[in-house]
Amino acid sequence: MEIVGAETPGLEPIAVSDASGFETMFRAQYARIARVIAGVIRDPARAEELTVEVFLKFWKSTAARGERAEGWLRKAAVRKAIDELRRRERRARYEGLFHFGKRTPTPEELRGVTEGQERVRAVLAAIDKRQAELLLLRNQGLSYSELASALDLNPVSIGTLLARGQRTFRKEYIRRYGKD
Amino acid sequence: MAKTNETDLGRWVDKRLGQLASDRGWEPDATRALACFYEKRRARNIRNVACAALSITALWISLTAFPKSREIVRRLWAGSRIADIGQVSADVKTLKDGEGAPDFVLKDANGADLRLSAYRGKVVLLNFWATWCHGCALEVPWLVQFEKDYRDRGFTVIGVSMDADGWKSVKPFLAREKVNYPVVIGNQKVAAPYGLDAMPMTFLIGRDGKIAATSVGIIDRAACEHRIRELLASASR
Repeated sequence: MEIVGAETPGLEPIAVSDASGFETMFRAQYARIARVIAGVIRDPARAEELTVEVFLKFWKSTAARGERAEGWLRKAAVRKAIDELRRRERRARYEGLFHFGKRTPTPEELRGVTEGQERVRAVLAAIDKRQAELLLLRNQGLSYSELASALDLNPVSIGTLLARGQRTFRKEYIRRYGKD
Repeated sequence: MAKTNETDLGRWVDKRLGQLASDRGWEPDATRALACFYEKRRARNIRNVACAALSITALWISLTAFPKSREIVRRLWAGSRIADIGQVSADVKTLKDGEGAPDFVLKDANGADLRLSAYRGKVVLLNFWATWCHGCALEVPWLVQFEKDYRDRGFTVIGVSMDADGWKSVKPFLAREKVNYPVVIGNQKVAAPYGLDAMPMTFLIGRDGKIAATSVGIIDRAACEHRIRELLASASR
């Protein structure tokens, strides 16, 4: 997954008080946010749609402005991606349950999909949503303080929550696929 | 030791999460997305404005359609205290069984006067309704049947429509439902003495012109028919 650290351009406070400021921010952040979502859901076209949804939410949210904008966008993107992942898992489960025809994967889905990626996605969709968010945001390179700010958590508890999330992830992974 | 285990665990998880990556050859199109963003935002704004307008209209109708709610609005507007609003129910007159049905004169579909007191000597089912009221529409076929079954025994239904646009909505409705009883267009002046605060609202009026039964909401068809028979029988004894 693309690692976006503090040295990444565009992490400075985003000024979106006017339309041109918003457009500048949109152009600077769009590709990054779209890639975050696409990495999780593996479908670039759908990722672009969801990214627009994230920015629509961003436009309405006053809490997303100022220094917190970057963290807010990452959090919203990860949340959107996990929701989509879980929605797909649910749909696949119901389709299997009611013996509907199996959905044909799109060409984008077929391209570059490995078994390993599928496993990770399935586990992320299965574990607690907050834990999945935390793991994905951390995996993108967010520091403890950035994680705390993005997820409205106490910075002191981040280490504990992260360790708990990692244990849950591994437990679920091993339960499903054994120790590979 | 525990720290080492946690580090190992972190590496193990990161290794797997690191497998997730978007297609390297894919380049998200920010310009197209921005256009899509503006289009969606415009559509949502329109939808929000429409929803707000609809909500305000619905609120206004529900607050002003009935005497009690209208009185509450009037008092609040006049600066009454919230505590005094509870008094509205006691102040707004509602009819009780045994009281004389307030008389009125309204125009029917042909433009002729319909005077309630002219029906003295008959059992009257007075039904306040409106075309937009789902419950009212449900009752209409029952009322048509009552009129058909008991007309010859000294019974009639009178429908008082409270539609704001009058005959424009009511006439097509009457034709569609093949309504066989007289219908007039009501107004607040007529509805207020009856304490109309919900629709449908139905009054059974005896041959003496007094209220024999009141029903707020959809009538119980069987119970209503039973009461009509009782009134017709007692009056003929």
